[in-house]
Amino acid sequence: MTMIPGLGIVKGMALTLRRFFEPKATIRYPEVVADIPPRFRGRLQLLYDEYGNLKCETCFQCAQACPIECIDMGGFDTKGRYHVHWGAAETYGERREESALRRSGRPVPDESYSHFAAIDTAAIDRILEEHDHDPARMLEILEATQDAYGYLPVAAMKRISFATGAWYAQIYGTATSYDHLRFSEANEAAADDYVAALGGSLTGTPAERSRLH
Amino acid sequence: MTVAARSWDRLNLLGKALVVVVPLLVVLTFGAILAAILVLPIVVNAAAANLPIVRFFIAVTAILLVTIPTAFIVGYLELKVLAFMQTRIGPDRTSPFGTLQAVFHGFKMLIKEDFLPTRADAVVFTWAPVVVFLASIMTFLVVPFAPGLYGQDMNIGLLYVFAVGGLTVVGLLMGGWSSFNKYSLLGGLRSAAQMVSYEIPLTLSVVGLILLAGSMSLVTLVEHQSGSFLDWYVWQQPLGALIFAVAATAEANRAPFDLTEADSEIVAGFATEYSGMRFGFFYFAEYVNVFIISALFVTFFLGGWTAPFDWPWPLSGDIDPGQLGIGLLLAALVIPLIGTLLFAAPFAVSRRRMPLWQALLIGFALFNVVAVATIFLWAFVAFEWVVGLFWFMGKTYTLVFIFIWLRGTLPRVRIDQLMGFAWKWLLPVALINLFVTAAALVVAGR
Repeated sequence: MTMIPGLGIVKGMALTLRRFFEPKATIRYPEVVADIPPRFRGRLQLLYDEYGNLKCETCFQCAQACPIECIDMGGFDTKGRYHVHWGAAETYGERREESALRRSGRPVPDESYSHFAAIDTAAIDRILEEHDHDPARMLEILEATQDAYGYLPVAAMKRISFATGAWYAQIYGTATSYDHLRFSEANEAAADDYVAALGGSLTGTPAERSRLH
Repeated sequence: MTVAARSWDRLNLLGKALVVVVPLLVVLTFGAILAAILVLPIVVNAAAANLPIVRFFIAVTAILLVTIPTAFIVGYLELKVLAFMQTRIGPDRTSPFGTLQAVFHGFKMLIKEDFLPTRADAVVFTWAPVVVFLASIMTFLVVPFAPGLYGQDMNIGLLYVFAVGGLTVVGLLMGGWSSFNKYSLLGGLRSAAQMVSYEIPLTLSVVGLILLAGSMSLVTLVEHQSGSFLDWYVWQQPLGALIFAVAATAEANRAPFDLTEADSEIVAGFATEYSGMRFGFFYFAEYVNVFIISALFVTFFLGGWTAPFDWPWPLSGDIDPGQLGIGLLLAALVIPLIGTLLFAAPFAVSRRRMPLWQALLIGFALFNVVAVATIFLWAFVAFEWVVGLFWFMGKTYTLVFIFIWLRGTLPRVRIDQLMGFAWKWLLPVALINLFVTAAALVVAGR
């Protein structure tokens, strides 16, 4: 059949002629409103509160809920930890280069490591090995990591995510839901200042003190 | 303040207008009557003495005017047909069903800046669109639309068509070269290579027709094909028709051979630096070209104005409204009134809720539809050229649809495929077609 010259043209012409008489896909918008699913929200966007701060607290719940993992975050949030922006990776300044590299087929340096403070991965690798790379033992891994580094560096959490296969969003969510895990280095002086500002002499257990950081 | 000025001030707006317009009308009327008595005989005599020249000028003017609606109709068809083939609706906002979309595109072109690149060759740059446009519409001059309805019946009509059509490439090269832009120049060279290559099989494909008809006059070609649709040359020259269709598509820069300005890939080829109405003229020429290649295909291979079959119910064409004399004038006054009332009556009687003016409006619209249809029917029966024009336009616009259909279906070819196809396939096949035709004529002893 395919040996007949011009058959492809005839087939294509038949297809376009069928399309010619098919019902049209266009919706004449102002007169006709499309049938939109009730939970359709249109374009996602970050909202600001009345003080001009981002309402987003980087809880990663949206990233966890996203079925196709299209939501990602980077930067620092309102508490100085991340500058929050989300959406397609190409829209981030620090990621744009990476995606350009990927499209051109060259090896992509992992910007997410260089962007944050680099760590010595020997300790985290040892911890992961001890815990058998098991994402079910995430809390133990995180506690051991905090013992080793003093806090939870982002690079370490990325490493854990990579090694265990758990989503970074889930690891971050786990870490945020426990008070004794922290994301920045313990600052004893700042904690004492805070207690003094409260007007009390709060001396408690190390666990209580660590909650203030 | 003089009396005249005071009187002028006392007049209201309508009065002022009347005072100006009425004397002007009187003067103009008398002037027209005087001119008709004194000058008209001289003009008529001079025109009668130089009938070919007058005919030529009238034909040129008419053709210039005819190309405008033609380009708009073809442009609108292209927008709408392509949209329908992509399951879209296409233009439908600017006017009923978007019919005036192409006209508004023209207006849009008019309000754009008329841009001239720095260090461009201004004269050549300005004349390039004119050359392209003229090369396209001058072909119209010999296209036989209907019996008696053609600009000139040249005895070298076929040669003229290809000679003038080939001028397009000059315009494209002019546009590409004068833009002072290497990409424009490359685009111009590409289109020149394409059009020069396809010119050869295009011309060779119709030499068989010259052998068959023994004439290069387009009118003679059409008259040779009169009869039923079995007498069309497409049955005697199927290969020639195919080659002509392909080569003409390339010659008119239509998809799938529209590398010259591949809308979706490059900016605009040779027309990159053009804007405003100069750019518009290139497009104008393109749409006119689509019509022309369709019209030429119809003339060469599909019998031109001849009907594909005999009209099964012959109607007598003896109705002459001139016989009615003064009655015609009276009828023209009375029939619209009676017709409007007649068509309004059912609505006025059956729908009590409807105001009378609405019923009258509907009656008037209906009467107009019926009257126009009647006049067309009468013209179809009474005049041979109306029948010819009907069939010619019907065939031509069917072909226009097919060319747009091709554009909606086929992907664009590569430049090497394009050139290879012209030189390695179309040219040998056209030569074979020519030899076979000649040999068949010798064997048949004609």
